[in-house]
Amino acid sequence: MFAYILRRIVATIPVMAIVALFVFSLLYLAPGDPAAIIAGDQASPADVERIRESLGLDRPFVVRFGEWVWHVLQGDLGQSIFTNLPVTHMIAQRVEPTLSLMVLTLVFSVVVAVPMGVVAAWKQGTWIDRVVMLLAVFGFSVPVFVVGYLMAYAFALQLEWLPVQGYTPIANGIWPWLSNLILPVLTLGGAFIALIARITRATMLEVLSQDYVRTAKAKGVSQAPILFVHALKNASVPIITVIGLGVAGLIGGAVVTESVFAIPGVGRLVVDAILRRDYPIIQGVVLIFSFVYVLVNLCVDLMYTVFDPRIRY
Amino acid sequence: MPNLALAQNAKVLRFIPQANLSTLDAIVGTQYVVRNAAIMVWDTLYGVNSKLEPQPQMAEGHEVSDDGKTWTFKLRPGLTFHDGEKVLPKDIIASLKRWMVRDSMGQMIAAQLVAMEGPDDLTFRIRMSKPFPKMLFALGKANPPMALVMPERIASTDAFKVITEFVGSGPMKFDKANWVPGSMAVFTKFDGYTPREEPSDWSAGGKRMFVDRIEWNIITDPATAAGALQKGEVDWWENPIPDLVPLLKKNSNVAVDIADPLGNIGSLRFNHLQPPFNDVRIRRAVLMALSQEDYMRAVVGDDTSLWKVSPSFFTPGTPDYTTDGGDILMGPRKYDAAKALLKEAGYNGEKIALCVATDVAITKAEGDVTADLLQRIGMNVDYQSLDWGTVGARRAKKDPVSQGGWNIFHTWHAGADCINPAPYSALQATGDKAWFGWPKSDKVQAGIDEWYNAPDPAAEKVALAKTNRAAFEDVIYGPTGFFLGYQAWRKNVTGVVKAPFPVFWDVKKT
Amino acid sequence: MSITYNGTGGVAADLPDVLPPVKKRGRVLTFIRRNPTLSAGGILLGLIVFMAIAAPILGTVDPTAIAPARRTRVPSALYWFGTDMLGRDVYSRTLYGARVSLIVGFAVAFLSSIIGMLIGVCAGYIRLVDTIIMRVMDGLMSIPSILLAIALMALTRGSVQNVVIAITVAEIPRVTRLVRGVVLSLREQPYVEAAVASGTRTPAVIFKHILPNTLAPIMVQATFICASAMITEAILSFIGAGTPPIIPSWGNIMAEGRALWQVKGYIVFFPAVFLSLTVLAVNLLGDGLRDMLDPRLAKRL
Repeated sequence: MFAYILRRIVATIPVMAIVALFVFSLLYLAPGDPAAIIAGDQASPADVERIRESLGLDRPFVVRFGEWVWHVLQGDLGQSIFTNLPVTHMIAQRVEPTLSLMVLTLVFSVVVAVPMGVVAAWKQGTWIDRVVMLLAVFGFSVPVFVVGYLMAYAFALQLEWLPVQGYTPIANGIWPWLSNLILPVLTLGGAFIALIARITRATMLEVLSQDYVRTAKAKGVSQAPILFVHALKNASVPIITVIGLGVAGLIGGAVVTESVFAIPGVGRLVVDAILRRDYPIIQGVVLIFSFVYVLVNLCVDLMYTVFDPRIRY
Repeated sequence: MPNLALAQNAKVLRFIPQANLSTLDAIVGTQYVVRNAAIMVWDTLYGVNSKLEPQPQMAEGHEVSDDGKTWTFKLRPGLTFHDGEKVLPKDIIASLKRWMVRDSMGQMIAAQLVAMEGPDDLTFRIRMSKPFPKMLFALGKANPPMALVMPERIASTDAFKVITEFVGSGPMKFDKANWVPGSMAVFTKFDGYTPREEPSDWSAGGKRMFVDRIEWNIITDPATAAGALQKGEVDWWENPIPDLVPLLKKNSNVAVDIADPLGNIGSLRFNHLQPPFNDVRIRRAVLMALSQEDYMRAVVGDDTSLWKVSPSFFTPGTPDYTTDGGDILMGPRKYDAAKALLKEAGYNGEKIALCVATDVAITKAEGDVTADLLQRIGMNVDYQSLDWGTVGARRAKKDPVSQGGWNIFHTWHAGADCINPAPYSALQATGDKAWFGWPKSDKVQAGIDEWYNAPDPAAEKVALAKTNRAAFEDVIYGPTGFFLGYQAWRKNVTGVVKAPFPVFWDVKKT
Repeated sequence: MSITYNGTGGVAADLPDVLPPVKKRGRVLTFIRRNPTLSAGGILLGLIVFMAIAAPILGTVDPTAIAPARRTRVPSALYWFGTDMLGRDVYSRTLYGARVSLIVGFAVAFLSSIIGMLIGVCAGYIRLVDTIIMRVMDGLMSIPSILLAIALMALTRGSVQNVVIAITVAEIPRVTRLVRGVVLSLREQPYVEAAVASGTRTPAVIFKHILPNTLAPIMVQATFICASAMITEAILSFIGAGTPPIIPSWGNIMAEGRALWQVKGYIVFFPAVFLSLTVLAVNLLGDGLRDMLDPRLAKRL
């Protein structure tokens, strides 16, 4: 098992290298110029050129890439071109909001979606099934920012139950923290719930049609244990896989959710950085995203062994 | 319950600035948002009041020698930096040196400078080779880059390299530890600051702080910002978009007023180096069809109190405002005449590279109107949708369009920068060395020189009229109209004034 | 098209065991009754495609013609969906906007399916390149597709074509993984092994035996990609990295109107409803297709 984990971690290094190289070459070829943005609208063309030199942006891309890799190998992600703050510091500031948003969304979605999918599969073909599936399709169909605005309008501005925007660290109390996250989580959760509910229903249908379930039924085991103990346990592997794959999509949705609700998360950081060509930040965030993705999928694989004893590494 | 966090302290002022604050170096960066933050942290020798007159700020007063070449300033006693050090003439000398590299008036001073010296701790002297009548305006202007006074160790940084230590002698300290770029910037009251006796007026007078802490919440989504202000999650919004103002006005807890009385001038910028706009007739043809009303309605909206048609390169409402030569922008638009002129100039359907920064609302609206305008006079538009960072890089290219150059981009200039030629880099018509677009016009330059050497206000006015006429004749750029912006604040905040930058002193919160 | 999967699993259970003999006239109705999801999706999508094609004759005006003097008018008999901030007719923009969204959706689905299928077959069939391809795909998948698309848009200027390319690049790994999985399982099938053993050359095996069998899952996957591409287009426009604003797309109309959603909600409302309906139609189509082709496919998608 440990050998397996080790092997997986070693295998992820090429993945991260590919990502780094890809994003790096992509963005360095992009025409934007951080020096022009720093200089501002008033600055003369010559001023912009001087600022570019002082930032070292006039050097060839291969040199800058090499330098960046060298620093990363030493554990240094560099400094933001704009703020001169260390990239690790700027990311660290923003990890908590994004992590809170993602974890809450994940928990919330699973708690809502799995029972939805199970019930839909159980009541397959009835109106309950149809309603659940229709809701799931709707969850996919509405753009996340439209949902966000509607939520903010209804629950924050009209009913005044929750704040419109912002983030409060969990250290300032559970409720202030939670109150700022409820609307974003509902917003971001929509599509994810739809995804999980669908896959749960589909897998459950397959499992329910198998012999041992029929046997259990025939032996008189009541409905709930069949559904939630026998069937769901066997259906869990594909469900977990989809959740793992969905994390990357969740990060994408978080970008939009964070800007609608003005949450100081990593998603907004990286979008701003891309639009302003703050290369060190983009590199750092993408590197961390791919690390998280790889880690999540490793966890997913390890969870297989928990849910399906037949799988061993 | 949900509003728990809001009730805690009344002495925190929450402010939504116009843009993200990504640096505090207002010498390297000329963005207004940087200047607006820097003006709290750093003080200046002089300030400018609402009549645009320089007034002593850190200086107690000055003496000019009879030949007009030597300026001696007395410093106010008791000036200290945030780190507790006294402000000394050496700090001022280093700060002005750094500023002179970047500011156009500063460069003029540098060209005629003999020496800057500090005979004692409270005296500071500038010796020039020629008289420089605009000295106090240069030292006190609020247009970026401002002559901010920093400690010598910071001011000795290269003028093109961003400073990383933010220590000034202004009324607020920058709280670097709590800075979350892109989301939050925090300023705390500097207890060691002694305000002047006079009442404050823009950057002049006593800068008295009545709040302990100012938090800048960066909220880039206007809809979210409006919601936050409506619910009282923030206290003051620098630039609500005009379409949302009716909504804010409906809220009995929110006050709305004009932000900057000097407003802004929209700009359609031509590339004077590349065909077809290297031909003045083609630039003129565009102006003949340019409807400022269309631009202003697209940029600002239907609220006609917020904008006006202004056939001028200068700021309406200021003493030297002139519309001399601006007839080309007045009256019904002459599409047929414009087409005829295009034909005469030999325009033959060449593609016009129109670079539009679509991530900035104002430039995007301007770009959409321009695309429509050019098509109406029969030009072949290549609308290039870019982000502001790309436009910033693109516009620096002098190459032909086929090699990555450009024909037109848009921006806008703060009215405060267009009151006269001194802070007005976009009007410079020095060709290769001019601002992006590189206009060249000897007539415009002659007018600007005449203004610098004008002995009295009447002569200044004449010089500006000449400059304006010349700028229209050679079409330095296309002014797309004059517009104002709103600001909005919660009614428990008092003392908000109209100014070219948000004035935080004398603002109270209950 | 060859469909080898035969739908005998769970979903078919509620169908009558013996189908009544159908008259020619009733065929359509029977198909609809047997495949309600597929039909609902198909009909809805058909209407939207018709709307997009027939936009010029449906009472529209030039969707890009600005009229700043008539900006932000509320819906009325003259302006059915009102006008936007530049005085453009939202009804016309919404109808023409269907074209952009559909083009983006279909083009991305088509391109990513074709490219993903080719790469997937290579990876699944040629062991030598499998590891390398799948590492690259893992790498691409670990960057959230929205970020990848934004980065690609930063590289090029905004245009419909570039939006399609950006979203396609982000979607390819999903198809590749799916196809590779199918190919890996097919390769072990007796009939494929038999073909290989009897000396059929590799390209022939791929084209005759492998490719046709990947079509069904790819088709279903393509509908989901189509739906998600339309949503991604809207999100890219929302972030300001999408189709150029001069082109009316639903994403653009919403992105431009979003600041005003509290005061002029209709500017966002109409394109949002149309986008949701279209995505819904495509999703229903995909679900229906999946149920019709093979309920067991559901597990993989």
